[in-house]
Amino acid sequence: METSMRVLSHVDGSAVVSNNGTKVICSVSGPMEPKSRQELPTQLALEIIVKPAEGVQSTREKLMEDQIRSVLTPVLARYLHPRQFVQICFQVLEAGESKDYTVKEVSVGINAAVLALVDAGVPLLSMCTGTCIGITSEERRLIVNPTEPELLECASVHVFCLELGTDENEKIDVRNVLLVDSLGTFDESQLFQVLETGEKECIRLYTELRSVIKDKVSRDFVWKQ
Amino acid sequence: MSRFEIYSPEGLRVDGRRWNELRSFNCSINTHPNAADGSSYLEQGNNKIITLVTGPQEPASRSQVNTKQASLSVTINLTKFAKMERSKSSHKNERRTLEWQTSLVRTFEKNLMLHLYPRTSIDVQVHVLQLDGGILGAMLNGITLALIDAGIAMYDFVSGVSVGLYDTTPLLDLNSLEENAMSSVTIGTVGKSEKLSLLLVEDKVPLDRLESVMAIGIAGTHRIRDLMDKELRKHGKTRVENLTN
Amino acid sequence: MAKDIEISNSESKFILEALKLKQRLDGRACDQFRDVEIELGEAYGDVTVTMGKTKVQCRISCEVAQPYEDRPFEGLFHITTETTPMAGAQFENGNNTGEEEVLISRMIEKAVRRSGALDVEGLCIIAGSKCWSLRADVHFLDCDGGLIDASCIAVMTALLHFKKPDVTVLGEKVTVHPVDEREPVSLGVLHVPVCVTFSFFNPDDTEENIKGEHNGEISIIDASLKEELLRDGVLTVTLNKNREVVQVSKAGGLPMDALSLIDCCHKAYGIVEKITDQIQRAIKQDSIARNQYAHILSSENARES
Repeated sequence: METSMRVLSHVDGSAVVSNNGTKVICSVSGPMEPKSRQELPTQLALEIIVKPAEGVQSTREKLMEDQIRSVLTPVLARYLHPRQFVQICFQVLEAGESKDYTVKEVSVGINAAVLALVDAGVPLLSMCTGTCIGITSEERRLIVNPTEPELLECASVHVFCLELGTDENEKIDVRNVLLVDSLGTFDESQLFQVLETGEKECIRLYTELRSVIKDKVSRDFVWKQ
Repeated sequence: MSRFEIYSPEGLRVDGRRWNELRSFNCSINTHPNAADGSSYLEQGNNKIITLVTGPQEPASRSQVNTKQASLSVTINLTKFAKMERSKSSHKNERRTLEWQTSLVRTFEKNLMLHLYPRTSIDVQVHVLQLDGGILGAMLNGITLALIDAGIAMYDFVSGVSVGLYDTTPLLDLNSLEENAMSSVTIGTVGKSEKLSLLLVEDKVPLDRLESVMAIGIAGTHRIRDLMDKELRKHGKTRVENLTN
Repeated sequence: MAKDIEISNSESKFILEALKLKQRLDGRACDQFRDVEIELGEAYGDVTVTMGKTKVQCRISCEVAQPYEDRPFEGLFHITTETTPMAGAQFENGNNTGEEEVLISRMIEKAVRRSGALDVEGLCIIAGSKCWSLRADVHFLDCDGGLIDASCIAVMTALLHFKKPDVTVLGEKVTVHPVDEREPVSLGVLHVPVCVTFSFFNPDDTEENIKGEHNGEISIIDASLKEELLRDGVLTVTLNKNREVVQVSKAGGLPMDALSLIDCCHKAYGIVEKITDQIQRAIKQDSIARNQYAHILSSENARES
């Protein structure tokens, strides 16, 4: 996974994440004043926009927006900014999958969003990471982060997203499953396998994202030493 | 290509004009005295345009209020019967129309003394009854006349015309047949100066020919300015006569 | 626009006073174009152009479609420019009827599509029934002025870079060969238009500008966002290397002397030449990088030439 943060200058936070042929740029603006119809009286309102690499927005992008929203909503400390509003834009730079799938874009997008939110300084309750896993139709083998040709060999693909945090003893603790979205045919045992592998992968991503953020913070606050 | 000879070896164009001749130009102002504060009717060749100006008046909504100067808006109504073939769409939200509207607003913003009318709005409606090439130039002329009729302070006339380049000959004031056959340049000049408020080149023109095309265009706009000036003075005279009688 | 960006009085005064002394905030000369960085992606027709802080991505894609009935020999070509709040808070999501948005998209449309930069007849597969439908999606990622110039460079580079899958026609049957099966073919690009934008400022009062003989207006090339917000007039010139003016647009704004406008066009030509060369260079480098193994795989004998 390749990441870079603060790539855009006119938004409050931004990040690019690319992983196995999928590349998504995410920007975060806010918390700012909402239009009156978007305003929530007790909580922070969210607007999520996903733009495809090719063509115009369709129901496919709306689905992705909805999935990403369901993942990000519980992670944000929304009670801290009542009557305010955060705008999160995703622009898919390289889809890395055909129009029939959304798994790679969603999982990469979620990771980019976390980095961009941190960059923008929007308070989070915990972190979340997303990954996608495919199961091949022939050998029933699990592939974490399949490439485009691998995706075509899969009987089923799954997006898996966890809410994670670190407790007082610096131990990683898995707090919640935020999203499991499966496409294709699979059985119960396979799903459990996916959950197991997904958890490992999400924890790995979590440590990776944390080190990226740590690096950035130590660079940004170099003047403090 | 087309059945017509765009520019004959004798130097005549489709409608019998020479290269540097304008189409017939007729205009009158105060044509709709009960409908608007200022109005004009303009015929530039087969272009027929009615322009109505209302304002300075109170803006329709609070958000349009500008405390420093008047806010100007232009709406173009390209009627469905304006062309030879009746068009199905109303052209209202076409990008081309929106672009024209923005261009016209931006042209007149710099030529009107808008700072004299803060917190007001000035609305211009252009109704194109018949369309025959060089419409943007004609709209400039129509709006100038209507604004003068409305008595809104201006620095000078804005007059517009289109010029084409046929091979190496610049042709002044194109009609739609000519416009389709060659690249055209629309020029909007301020008064009798060489200052251009509007300049649009929409098709390929060799860089080194641009100057000669612009020169003939500027001469054309100056001529149009004189024609408009003459009409305005005539109109003024009859008004004064009516008052004294 | 969702929210207009406002510049404080003192900042705008500072910028204007500096411009009178021929100084710009980013240290450029008045007639200096920002350095253009062209990045070509892994896929054909994926180009990111960076000019200072302005960043634009263009992507070309194609599919087989039916040509228009009145133009059976031509393929379809569309350019879409959609703005998102990603480029800056002044852009609203999904609103493409704002003044600025319409002008940008019309300008690119005129510069590239209407000027015939792309040979649309080359997109025809079977006259009247099948053709390629090509679309260029322009994504504005970051806006610090000069969106038109950057987008035009991005679209033209992407068109030069893009390759469409090869097809074989047997009677009415069309076979599209996947890229890994047969070498894809480049598009027919007839000329490379490049846009250069000039911004005008009026240091004197309006009367001097309209009536005076002084012609003291300041003109600068490739304004940044702040300069764009403060300018009194704008001129976008599109030229190609053959010394052809493809499109000029000075849609109102500060009236400018005709001769100084012509002078702008000539200045623009120098920049256009430079940028065209840079585009060609980037394309060439990319094709060399992609074909580094070609000479090993080729069965041809090396020839002295």
